[in-house]
Amino acid sequence: MTTGTPTTTMTTDAALTLHQLFSPAFPVGAFAYSHGLETAVQAGQVADAAALQGWLEAALRHGAGWSDALLLAQAAQGADADMLSELGLALSPSAERRLETEQQGRAFAATVSAVWELEIPPSPYPVAVGLAVQALALPLDEALRLYLQAFAANLAGAGVRLIPLGQTDGQRVVQALAPLCAELAERALGAELDDLGGFAPLIDIASQRHDMLYSRLFRS
Amino acid sequence: MHREGRAAAQGGVAACPSLIGWQGCLPQEGRTIPYDQPQMTAPAASAAQRARGKARLGARLRNGRTAISDLHMSGSAKLLFPRPKDALQAVYLNSSGGVTGGDAFEVEAYAEPGAHLVMTTQAAERVYRALPAETGRVETRLTLGAGARLDWLPQETILFEGGALDRRLSIDMAGDARLTACEALVFGRHAMGEVLHDLRLRDRIDLRIDGRLAFADRLHLQDDAAGTLAHPAIANGAGAVATVIHAAPGAATLRDPLREMLPETAGLSALSAELLVLRVVSVDGYTLRGHLAPVLRRLSGAELPRPWMI
Repeated sequence: MTTGTPTTTMTTDAALTLHQLFSPAFPVGAFAYSHGLETAVQAGQVADAAALQGWLEAALRHGAGWSDALLLAQAAQGADADMLSELGLALSPSAERRLETEQQGRAFAATVSAVWELEIPPSPYPVAVGLAVQALALPLDEALRLYLQAFAANLAGAGVRLIPLGQTDGQRVVQALAPLCAELAERALGAELDDLGGFAPLIDIASQRHDMLYSRLFRS
Repeated sequence: MHREGRAAAQGGVAACPSLIGWQGCLPQEGRTIPYDQPQMTAPAASAAQRARGKARLGARLRNGRTAISDLHMSGSAKLLFPRPKDALQAVYLNSSGGVTGGDAFEVEAYAEPGAHLVMTTQAAERVYRALPAETGRVETRLTLGAGARLDWLPQETILFEGGALDRRLSIDMAGDARLTACEALVFGRHAMGEVLHDLRLRDRIDLRIDGRLAFADRLHLQDDAAGTLAHPAIANGAGAVATVIHAAPGAATLRDPLREMLPETAGLSALSAELLVLRVVSVDGYTLRGHLAPVLRRLSGAELPRPWMI
């Protein structure tokens, strides 16, 4: 696959391993989290596919998408894992966002450790993924793209259920965000820890207000 | 001339004869500092005119009151002290009148065990147009000893077109200390129709409680800030944002009463039993003050420091 791409030299085994790790069937429980999207939908701020795409674009480019990609890349490239874990949790602007990254990271680390007989410590989700990418010698560029697309696809799925939208509309949103996932993945590869950061205050606020909603489908 | 122009534009402070006798150099009783007084946007300062400022303050409990235990000021960084109460109130002043490319400011304050220090700023800080390769740097380090209390309540930072700011707020506190910290940013003056299409902003907050990183914020906003702010999922056209941190034993019990004070454009979460984080976006700096004032009054249990009054 992708033999013409200079950055990708993936063996079939590595490709299959990555797809296994980022498959919705891999038991991290991503489906339970909306990252605050549920608040935005209930408030009427995200009511159609275009608004969903805009919301996800903001979350990817200016919010946790970019920060997660950078933490993942740093962990995979051998930066101090304890420091990254502490930072990854501390960056959460709300208790539910902290739970989201903590619980998915814990489940991911536990499953990878058990299946591949590794010792990945419980860590925030992107840090756990980065440690696994390093331990399994998986190609980081492809891991970053798939991580970001899984992030987008999971939240698009949440949007499809919440707004609601048709499955086809949801998949169109995921497809439209693919170039952004690729762009951010490439930037994260060459970024430094100090490039961490963004600006998405209303997404943070939506997650902080999520536990105030009268009825909720999601844990964040 | 730019330096002088900036100092003169500060209003009231330039006329102060000496900052050494800090007791007598304060806004008069009842005087208000408009948060947004009209003034010229200073052009970029040349390299020769870079401003430097360092201020260091220690606060110690003495006979039930907090007193100064250490004080150092140099360059354009000044600290003023209104008449003392039980808490020590310190008013920071950048006498160069703003921050532009190449400027560097450092503020360090520590509240020793049991001390209560309240810090604010004389006026809203202004971040003026910088030369393309230059950035203004502001570094603040706050330390809270056992049982100490520190209220970090600077007035807002107003960013102008072409501004470049690299700022870091590092807080180290004991687990039984009590911190309230607020950082507010205003993106151009709404009433003046200012829109920022060329901004370089990095703003970092690190809060350590008993040595453990409990909260970190990494704000990074570059280039067309107005375009980013206009995005419905980011700020929906708002022109001002603030983050408030409250860390103290039992802080989470304040979550629900504080939530009742918030507009819909604000959120508040208890990250742990000891830590509250609030974010708010508002249409402009004036509205932001209205949103913040009741929250900060509640958290500090006191009126806002006098320079804040509108």
